[in-house]
Amino acid sequence: MCGIAGRILKNPGKVGQDLVELMDAQAHRGADSTGFAIYTEPRSSGYVLRGMGFDKSTLDADLTDFENVLKDHQCGFQRDPEVLTDSNKHYCFRMEISDPDNIDAWVADADTLCNRIEVQSCGRSLEIIKDIGSAKQVADKHGVRDMVGTHGLGHARLATESSVLPNASHPFWARPFADVAIVHNGQITDYYTQRDKLERQGYRFLTENDSELIAVWVSDQIKSGLSMDQALKKSISSIDGVFTFMIAGIDSIGFAKDRFAMKPIVLINQDGGIAAATEEQAVRRVYKQEAQVINHDGPSLSGIWGLESRRAAA
Amino acid sequence: MSEVVIEVGDRPIREVNEDIIAACKPGAKLRIVDTLSRHNLGIGLPPDVNLHFEGSVGYYCGGLNTGATITIERNAGWAVGEGMAKGHITVDGYAGMSVGAAMIGGTIHVKGDTGPRCGVAMKGGNIIVEGTIGYQSGFMAHSGRIIALGGAGESCADALWEGEVWVCGEVKSLGVDVKVIEPTAEEVAEVDAILDPLGLKDTSREWRKMVSGQRLWYFESRDASAWLMI
Repeated sequence: MCGIAGRILKNPGKVGQDLVELMDAQAHRGADSTGFAIYTEPRSSGYVLRGMGFDKSTLDADLTDFENVLKDHQCGFQRDPEVLTDSNKHYCFRMEISDPDNIDAWVADADTLCNRIEVQSCGRSLEIIKDIGSAKQVADKHGVRDMVGTHGLGHARLATESSVLPNASHPFWARPFADVAIVHNGQITDYYTQRDKLERQGYRFLTENDSELIAVWVSDQIKSGLSMDQALKKSISSIDGVFTFMIAGIDSIGFAKDRFAMKPIVLINQDGGIAAATEEQAVRRVYKQEAQVINHDGPSLSGIWGLESRRAAA
Repeated sequence: MSEVVIEVGDRPIREVNEDIIAACKPGAKLRIVDTLSRHNLGIGLPPDVNLHFEGSVGYYCGGLNTGATITIERNAGWAVGEGMAKGHITVDGYAGMSVGAAMIGGTIHVKGDTGPRCGVAMKGGNIIVEGTIGYQSGFMAHSGRIIALGGAGESCADALWEGEVWVCGEVKSLGVDVKVIEPTAEEVAEVDAILDPLGLKDTSREWRKMVSGQRLWYFESRDASAWLMI
């Protein structure tokens, strides 16, 4: 049992605050870790990286090696990396980098350092913040409430299929595709079969979390030419297990739900904004007045909600 | 007896339920306001009380009811009336998954649609749904009756035991080991007698009554066709 949420604002605003509310209301669904994928106003060039290093005592060496990989790909830091440490052994970072020559090749090289320092999101707009602890704890530590953006995802994790590690928290970035993130509630029962197939194609897995499989699987589908909508529909018959997952891109949030209808998702779509979550009481934190609540309760469902502001600007 | 008003808001649910139980004197009328779709409201209520939830409620509302009359003005989350033994629950809007799960008696009346597995493992009582019942409704119902006036979703009445699923309108698909039979005039009269007090009796309805095919009851593992069935 985990809790997931998605939020789209009509106009850019404090999306972080709303996501913290959505996840705090579902804190009982998963107290192990909490994460947020926040989409800020997209930059025209350069990427924001979020991630963590696993041993703060090697921080300086990690950053030097990481910068060397950037240089190998003709890019570098646009400003000094921001690093957050506390009593935990791991540290979290936020970096702004210029465009590498080839993002796929750069991500592959950066991943060679993943036993020390792991990139957990990369995007013109996307920033993934995830850590062990409740929504309030993670929000306080990382200043999530003050983050301004257009849309985002949230996740509260009750670890069932892999360990309680900070990097096994959600959301997962669909590496190496910039600005694509997923959150998932459920269990993937053919995890090892699917992972084996994807690894044979050269995909990398940085955790043993079954939700990471969905992110990588979706990456593969996009790479083979499917649209997000098509990939979501295909996931229902291709991935085995009980699941509801949400996937976000730079201008939309989509969801897919398994054939057994075991994992709920409810939605309020009002005044150009959308709040979706595992539980209705969570979306009511954002829309306090009685509102039309849509229960996507049936089996084999998928859908995509777009950003009106981006659509209007296009 | 005057009406008692209890506010939910962001108060701890344990505290709200303690207030509700304390106000549940015989003949009491309670109005619960600012419900905000919160979970676990009104659990284990006694008989001879009348509760009105002004707004939507979350999971398990009215669970383990022993005779209270409950109305929910808007939607109910998962498992409304789970395990109830007696009483009457009315949901004016939509009800989520597992309406009346494992209930053993009483009546649940949903005016809208329900989510999947309505009446899962129920052991008695009646669930009346004016809209459609969701995927796999009636799953493993041991006894009791689900009456859906607006149709049913996929895999209807899957793995039914001695429960009955009555449907008017479209049934998207049948579940495993289900038999659709023509109800007798006496049986239809019995169902009409349940619907009449709710103002829903209509003698022109064409019913489909679903009962167990009973092949799963006595599963014959050496029969290849039995394996194909599941």
